[in-house]
Amino acid sequence: MTQEIDLSQLPAPEPYDEARDTAQRARLARAWQEPPGWKIITAVNNSNIGKWYLLTSFGFFVFAGILALMMRMQLAVPNNDLFGQELYNQMFSLHGTAMMFLFAVPIFEAVAILILPEILGARDLPFPRLSAFGYWCFLIGGVFVCGSIFFGVAPEGGWFMYAPLSSNKEYSGLGADIWLLGLSFIEVSSIAAAVELIVGVLKCRPPGMRLNLMPLYCWYVLVVAGMILFAFPPLIAGDLLLEMERAFGWAFFDVDRGGDPILWQHLFWIFGHPEVYIVFLPSIALIATMLPTFAGRPMVGHSWIVLSAIGVAFLSFGLWVHHMFTTGLPEISLGFFSAASEAVAVPTGIQIFCFIATMLLSKVRASVPMLFAGGALAIFVFGGLTGVMVALVPFDWQAHDSYFVVAHLHYTLLGGMLFPLMAGVCYWYPFVTQRALSDRAGKWAFWLMFGGFNLAFLPMHWTGIMGMPRRVWTYDLSDGWAVLNMVSTVGAFIFAAGFAVLAINVLWPRGKAPLVKRNLWNAGTMEWSGEIPGKPWGVRSIPYIHTRYPLWEQPEVVGQMDRGEWFLPDAEEGRRELIVTDILDARPLYIHRVGGPTFLTLGAAGCLGAVFILATYHLWALTLAFGAGFIAFTLRWLWTGTSEVPDAPRKYAGRGLTLPTYAQGNRSPGWWAVFITMTGDMTAFMGLVFSYFFYWTALPDFLPAASQLPAFGWLLAGFAALMASWLMTVGARRLLGTGAARAAMALLVGAVPVGAAGLAAWIWSAHSVGLDPTAHSYDAMVWILILWMGLHLLLNSVMHLYVAARIRAGICNRDYRADLMNLTLFSHFLALTGIVIFALLALFPLLMGAA
Amino acid sequence: MKPESDKQPEGFGPPGDAPRIIDQGSIWIMVAAPTLWAAHFVASYVLAAVWCAKIGPSLTQPRWIIAAMGALCAGVIVWLGVRAVRRYGGVFVIFEEITESSERGRDKFIGHVSLLLCILSVLAIVFTVIPGFVFGTC
Repeated sequence: MTQEIDLSQLPAPEPYDEARDTAQRARLARAWQEPPGWKIITAVNNSNIGKWYLLTSFGFFVFAGILALMMRMQLAVPNNDLFGQELYNQMFSLHGTAMMFLFAVPIFEAVAILILPEILGARDLPFPRLSAFGYWCFLIGGVFVCGSIFFGVAPEGGWFMYAPLSSNKEYSGLGADIWLLGLSFIEVSSIAAAVELIVGVLKCRPPGMRLNLMPLYCWYVLVVAGMILFAFPPLIAGDLLLEMERAFGWAFFDVDRGGDPILWQHLFWIFGHPEVYIVFLPSIALIATMLPTFAGRPMVGHSWIVLSAIGVAFLSFGLWVHHMFTTGLPEISLGFFSAASEAVAVPTGIQIFCFIATMLLSKVRASVPMLFAGGALAIFVFGGLTGVMVALVPFDWQAHDSYFVVAHLHYTLLGGMLFPLMAGVCYWYPFVTQRALSDRAGKWAFWLMFGGFNLAFLPMHWTGIMGMPRRVWTYDLSDGWAVLNMVSTVGAFIFAAGFAVLAINVLWPRGKAPLVKRNLWNAGTMEWSGEIPGKPWGVRSIPYIHTRYPLWEQPEVVGQMDRGEWFLPDAEEGRRELIVTDILDARPLYIHRVGGPTFLTLGAAGCLGAVFILATYHLWALTLAFGAGFIAFTLRWLWTGTSEVPDAPRKYAGRGLTLPTYAQGNRSPGWWAVFITMTGDMTAFMGLVFSYFFYWTALPDFLPAASQLPAFGWLLAGFAALMASWLMTVGARRLLGTGAARAAMALLVGAVPVGAAGLAAWIWSAHSVGLDPTAHSYDAMVWILILWMGLHLLLNSVMHLYVAARIRAGICNRDYRADLMNLTLFSHFLALTGIVIFALLALFPLLMGAA
Repeated sequence: MKPESDKQPEGFGPPGDAPRIIDQGSIWIMVAAPTLWAAHFVASYVLAAVWCAKIGPSLTQPRWIIAAMGALCAGVIVWLGVRAVRRYGGVFVIFEEITESSERGRDKFIGHVSLLLCILSVLAIVFTVIPGFVFGTC
């Protein structure tokens, strides 16, 4: 048993003193104030970043929606020549790309950044500057990808960019590069957000909020952020392979050189199918959060929803091949994925039944959010049922690549994601703006959207069954699809009108409108405890939570928070402070100080954006220059804003609780962030390992003759050097712990050339036998694994020198050595990567008898 | 004075807030069962893919290997389920109200969810085993 801190037995608060309250409020406001005027762009508060994120995502949604309307105009009548075929290809590619990458996923991050800290009764997320960095990356990357259509160079290979259409430069131009690099860049911001949200849910809960008391929204965020960590990296690996083929002619997808285009489909859909659930679960989480409010009772089967979220998260990784049923894989393989696709309906169904049960057991208050939520469930269930149909292989062979699939995916995505999101917009609008939306306009918006949606997409089931393929830019009258297509087009415009009503309702200036009352909907979750008018600090004092619906079951907590009777009611040092708690029981562990407004994150995002954009045009010198700029900004950001040595080792947090002001190792959020990031990194690496074995399975002669294999002796020597470099890092951590700072520094600096020597030996082992990445997929695979190691070693070296410099400056020392611990954790993962690469390059061929 | 925050990691074994594996007070027990499903799923997929690519069209042997692996994983999951019930006090209830604010309450909640996930995982493993018995050849 762990040591129990009985938070319910804390000493009583000091009696209320108005003068003290006013002074504390003034200090808190100063610490959390957003920067004035144009400097607002340096803001990092979750309320600012969340709002911008949300509006930007909706901006991309409108952009992609306009593309959809243009497509519907093109398809309204047969033999239409409104838009050319090439533009049409760009429109559908960009529509899918923008909707998925620039709207569906980022909006999850946007909503979570906006409401998660408040639901947790926290002041902010653990790494506010990282959120800001992620946002700016997203904005730059999104504008870059979307802007391409105005120059006629938008991607035109579909949102999944199948090779060889996308790998062969004769078929695809700059658009494919823009897609690959632009989206890789955005994926960086998604992974950054995932790290932030996982650490936020695990470590920044209010004291007392044990796992069994954690709101459902937090469970969903945790699960989805975890999914992002395992789903996005394989696509990054795929992007790397595809871009290496496009830019440098490496042989990954070209059949003549031992490549295989099916590999791209695998890597894409290992990402692509979980992605569907990554967009679905957070939206369904919004329903799970608002439903109890309108039902006026706790969710029925709270734990069953946790089960289904976790279950869906796992099973969704066993579905990817159902997008590839027609690629000629063995039937038994298809059978596995068909079975898993049916199995995922079980947990998905459970959560829907929990929602229905909650509504049946209570009298649901009618409201606009509930209208959207109800519409969402109806549409989603319909889409789910057609999903069970297309999960069956024989049916899928008939419906594949037809409009039936278009109808199915829009029913699931709009029912599962867009309608719940609209419900959320209506529900949380008063939380963000403290004004009320027009109910009348809300109802109009819903019925127009609901009616328009069904009018647009229901007929597509028939057009699909009648044989209309996806992505055709026009059709003939004799095909017999004209009437249904016209109906779809009319429906699409009605839907768009509904969205316009909603958008106007949301964006309507309400500066003079009366403020809403506190906890407008009488909700039970913490985000509604905010004072009206709103304050920049999130919560006045961080409360002790011991129920699932604190505002219902601990109604006194709001007044206590307002009076500053709970933890951290003050900001004496003018710093932004959060309480970090433990994962299981949310026992307070330490006081975490977070950074305020800064230009550094903007600079870092701008430089990184320039790197990706310039690389698209192969301007290598400029790319390197901006890469250096990115490193400089990031190092400055880390140096000035992280792992500071605190002025005092501990601080009084109120109510008799004194907490440390510094944490290292797995008590600190930074350690967890490294752990989580590196888990994602390992997943990307596993994508490469998968590719290696995929080639080995698919090609009879993938492994070359013994004389063509990388030289074993050099591989072994390189491996030994890499392991030595790792052990030096581990040794440095031990030495610093004993106070031997100079020796630790020497080991850290020394580890850099040792690692470099290891890499050089590996390079030589491949080079000496003449492996040419443009010649064959095996050679390309060997080189990409060495390149992967090289990129990581480069990063590793920068971090080693950084930590050595920190030790020299006395910021990282015997008592405060979080930097070195995080670096050691990174190097553990690097060592693991090295072991696996060594096994693949040296041991596996031996095992197969090739040598 | 040595700060409180420094009273850990020594060498490799850090605790404080270290995650415990499976034993009481761990969140890993929740993901253990579905992870076993995933392992079985990947193993079945790889086995079938390699078998069909390298060995031959008949599925008689792989089907039994897949079933045996499934039985093995299901066995481990049952052990996990027993653990979830005995150590964590997990129960099978529909109207779950484990809202007690105590370590025991948290354990019971984790045990309960783990138990449900064990059931789901065994079900999903059965789903994975079925195709082998439907198809005779690749």
